[in-house]
Amino acid sequence: MTREMPVALAARDIWKSYGTLEVLKGVSLEAHEGDVISVLGASGSGKSTLLRCINMLEVPDRGEVTVDGEPIRLRLHRGRREPADRRQVDRIRAKLGMVFQGFNLWSHLTVLGNVIEGPVHVQRRPRGECIAEAEALLEKVGIAAKRHHYPAHLSGGQQQRAAIARALAMNPKAILFDEPTSALDPELVGEVLRVMRALAEEGRTMLVVTHEIGFARHVSNRLLFMHRGEVAAAGTPEELFGGVAPEQFRQFIAGYHQR
Amino acid sequence: MIDAGFLLGTMRQLLAAVPTTLALFALSVSIGAVIAGLLAWARVGGHPLLDRFARGYIFVFRGSPLLIQMFLIYYGLSQFPAVRHSPAWLVLREPFNCAVISLALCTGGYAAEIFRGGLQAVPHTAIEAARASGMSGLLLFRRIIAPLAARAALPAYSTELVLMVKSTALASLVTVWEVTGVAQRIITHTYRTMEVFLCAAAIYLVLNVALVRLLMLLEWRLSPDLRAPRPLPAA
Amino acid sequence: MTLLRLFGFGPQGWGGLLLAAALMTVAVTLAALLLGAALGALVAAARLSRRRLWRLLGEAYTTVFRGVPELLVVYVVYFGGSTLVSQIGAWLGGEGFLGLPSFLAGAIAVGVISGAYQAEVYRGAYLSILRGEIEAAKAIGMGGVLRFRRIVVPQVLRFALPGIGNVWQLSLKDSALVSVTGLAELMRMSQVAAGSTHEYFQFYIAGGALYLLMTTLSNRVFGAAESRVARSFRGGIGWQPR
Repeated sequence: MTREMPVALAARDIWKSYGTLEVLKGVSLEAHEGDVISVLGASGSGKSTLLRCINMLEVPDRGEVTVDGEPIRLRLHRGRREPADRRQVDRIRAKLGMVFQGFNLWSHLTVLGNVIEGPVHVQRRPRGECIAEAEALLEKVGIAAKRHHYPAHLSGGQQQRAAIARALAMNPKAILFDEPTSALDPELVGEVLRVMRALAEEGRTMLVVTHEIGFARHVSNRLLFMHRGEVAAAGTPEELFGGVAPEQFRQFIAGYHQR
Repeated sequence: MIDAGFLLGTMRQLLAAVPTTLALFALSVSIGAVIAGLLAWARVGGHPLLDRFARGYIFVFRGSPLLIQMFLIYYGLSQFPAVRHSPAWLVLREPFNCAVISLALCTGGYAAEIFRGGLQAVPHTAIEAARASGMSGLLLFRRIIAPLAARAALPAYSTELVLMVKSTALASLVTVWEVTGVAQRIITHTYRTMEVFLCAAAIYLVLNVALVRLLMLLEWRLSPDLRAPRPLPAA
Repeated sequence: MTLLRLFGFGPQGWGGLLLAAALMTVAVTLAALLLGAALGALVAAARLSRRRLWRLLGEAYTTVFRGVPELLVVYVVYFGGSTLVSQIGAWLGGEGFLGLPSFLAGAIAVGVISGAYQAEVYRGAYLSILRGEIEAAKAIGMGGVLRFRRIVVPQVLRFALPGIGNVWQLSLKDSALVSVTGLAELMRMSQVAAGSTHEYFQFYIAGGALYLLMTTLSNRVFGAAESRVARSFRGGIGWQPR
């Protein structure tokens, strides 16, 4: 289904080290529009770093990232690689939504304030329009009643749903999820996964780093399994869970089931 | 342009006044610590009247400038014949003593809050464990509460001690010949304001940096458990 | 002379002058605090900089102005400033001694000192901002200036509020030292009144009482401001610098 869709984002041959520690060793991925790609792997496998390289919160030492057909230009400056054009990076980031493990809502703004901040100040859209859209989004994720509250007064699950609404408000081409449920109490995980599933069914392009095997298996249409900085397995959930998977992947899944 | 000879002579004169500064500091800090201890005890002891008195004392001495407190004691008290004819006059007629008393009363107020903070920072669990072992009263205070409270209070108390060194300079305004006072005297004779004041500032800076270093060393020695453990030899 | 006549507002009463002097104290402290805010922000930025040179300069500033007696700073600014002004006056053809206005000298001296303390407050406040909130701003495409304006500054002001309250109290008391320049603030006026009437005790008590009044009012104002800001915190503002 998704093979014919245009490429929303792509990362080619990404290498990244911190000092002597090699975190990513030549990783590539390609997301077509409508793809929901889950990235699995043990801690330290490099999955979060890969995600953060896509919107340049980390800059890869080698390799190229392309978003919506536009490659992000990098240059060498004092021995370090950095974005060549700050404005291009900002523009591209505005096209990508990101949902963090720690929610990262702005604590001095209300929930509504958080959601309209990007549209009003980065996209420069009229405030009235942004508020109307924000309220619809908050309704959609199920926390419209909390819109005038401050993040500190919300539960973890509510905060994360607000963060998702904030990402959606920018009308992104693709949404990046960095372990969105890892910091939540178990009983709050479900409400966030439900929202994410609804987004997937809408046809949103999503790149999800997660430990939720159920989501990976039933909601995503492609999986990436990372091990020690490399892609150790890639394919559809049917393929990887059906028995064609490499040993490392099966051990990883088995480890999870034993908990 | 730099008159080394003058600077050297000035420094010699100023350094000769450092013992006075240190004496002011040491006496006022010691007496102040005792006052602070009593006030902190009054505040955490539980007796409402003592607590109110302590709170009032702390409010007055932290809420008003040290200078006005010093003038009050030096000029204000000597105004009354009753004071001048009392035995207290033997002490109060000396500017040095007035300065010490004023400094002590002031730091007593500030340090009281710092000590109280230290006492409240002692983990309840540590006290419970000690009581469960049969400790109480003076032994409990001496072996458990005091050391932990001192450790917690040390950073804030270090700041207070630095402020005390600086506060001794105010004694110059009640005719005590400590460093700032001597600096003023040199200036009235030589009119070389900037050089003399900058020399004096340098002396205080050195004193304070040395004090801070000493206190950091003390902090380090008091917290053997918070330092990184030495690597164990390979088994 | 009865207390009432002493403090009253009649021709022999010092009440009016003392109150006016108290206002002068507030004015010079306010000016000092504003100057200190500007300096403090610069020094905090320097101390947070990636360049070692800036960090060292920032640390030097805070070490010097927290380590040298405030009285000396007032003297140096007043006499040094006056010398500078006279020098400039001489170059421009003037004659004689031109003093630096004592209000200016006082505001600069107390301001420069409060700057060192405010730098600590701003630095601590900045470090308290969760790194994640800044990342979320980056991730949404906010550029540096926009991030600073919309995320960093509001947060720093919120976290810094208790600290600034402390610095205000500190500066209010430091302003008493400006009396040595002759400025008619509360300390000086108490001194003048005391010396003129030889009622030292009464006037120093009165001056002290007025300072306590200012302290109490300041506490109320900052307390109210902190309450308003704390509504967005779950547990209220916990961290307070000295």
